[in-house]
Amino acid sequence: MDFVTNAKKFGVRSLLLQGLTFLSVLTSAFMIWKGLSLFTNSESPVVVVLSGSMEPAYYRGDILFLNNGYSPIEVGEVVVYKLKDKPIPIVHRVLKVHTQRETGEQFLLTKGDNNNADDRGLYNPGQLWIQRDEIIGRVKGFVPYAGMGTIWMNDYPQLKLGLLGTLCVLSLFSND
Amino acid sequence: MYNFLQRLSGVTSFAMSTLMALVVVISLTTPFIPSSPTFDVSLHNVQTTTGRAMDPFDRTSRKAEYARLTFDLDADLSTMFNWNTKLLFAYMTVDYTTPGFETNRVVIWDRIIRNKRQAKLKLRKHHNKYALRNHPLTFEDVEGANLTLHINPVPYLGVMYDKPMVSLPFTIPRPTKPAANKA
Repeated sequence: MDFVTNAKKFGVRSLLLQGLTFLSVLTSAFMIWKGLSLFTNSESPVVVVLSGSMEPAYYRGDILFLNNGYSPIEVGEVVVYKLKDKPIPIVHRVLKVHTQRETGEQFLLTKGDNNNADDRGLYNPGQLWIQRDEIIGRVKGFVPYAGMGTIWMNDYPQLKLGLLGTLCVLSLFSND
Repeated sequence: MYNFLQRLSGVTSFAMSTLMALVVVISLTTPFIPSSPTFDVSLHNVQTTTGRAMDPFDRTSRKAEYARLTFDLDADLSTMFNWNTKLLFAYMTVDYTTPGFETNRVVIWDRIIRNKRQAKLKLRKHHNKYALRNHPLTFEDVEGANLTLHINPVPYLGVMYDKPMVSLPFTIPRPTKPAANKA
């Protein structure tokens, strides 16, 4: 039992300290993510492209950095939207914008650069426009292929388990 | 002193931080690379007709008015290609205001330009690629409209930005009624 011998050798304190360091790494990562989310007014400020509907601009596995902000959406912007009943976020370009004068409500229609038709076939049945609050963010910057790991892990769940297992085994054998 | 894994981790972490710094520098400097595109848009005519069933999802499309533009576009955007340009997304919008709607902006044409050879555009008597209709059924309250060419450079890596190029005012006429003319 490596764990017990370690505890006898270094004492409970050092083990607790290790646990604390681990927890602080976890919480600071979580805080950075939530802080970014608050700053950009977007529920997920970094997304990975999952489909090829925006080729040749964005390919599968590209990482997009989003900023939602509070201003109205402009035509020609690439936005990420999530429909009310569908869980998958979609990255497409805005084709039409109509902003109502009294309420400021926006009627938006989107289309993927690689698709032939606009997105009305993807929206919920009977839905002709998407609203401002269905938009998670607008694409401000991107890094190609950096999210390929996420795609592989989604496609092959064994990879995720294998990676976790290797990390666990390595952490047992490390001596810092 | 150092074992293989420690050396490996040192080298990869240094490589990662250098790569990150490079990414930041490249994405911040790319929008300031100068370019001198030329462009010219001219409009031949605008026709409005009623009831072209365009949209299988939209039941009102049979009763709505559709405007059809005939335009010329001359542009040479080849200087906008630099070492960090993956493609240029060129698009034309029509925007107008109505009493009920503050902004209405509709893309009527777009093209993905992937290299310098495709960047020389010469369109003659081209029609809009996407249907132009108002959010209500009619263009009745539309006073004046603007036809604008925009370029959206998509980089290999970095920030997205938009360049409005040239704007051209015009008016959307009332629909011609072919049925009434025949009678």
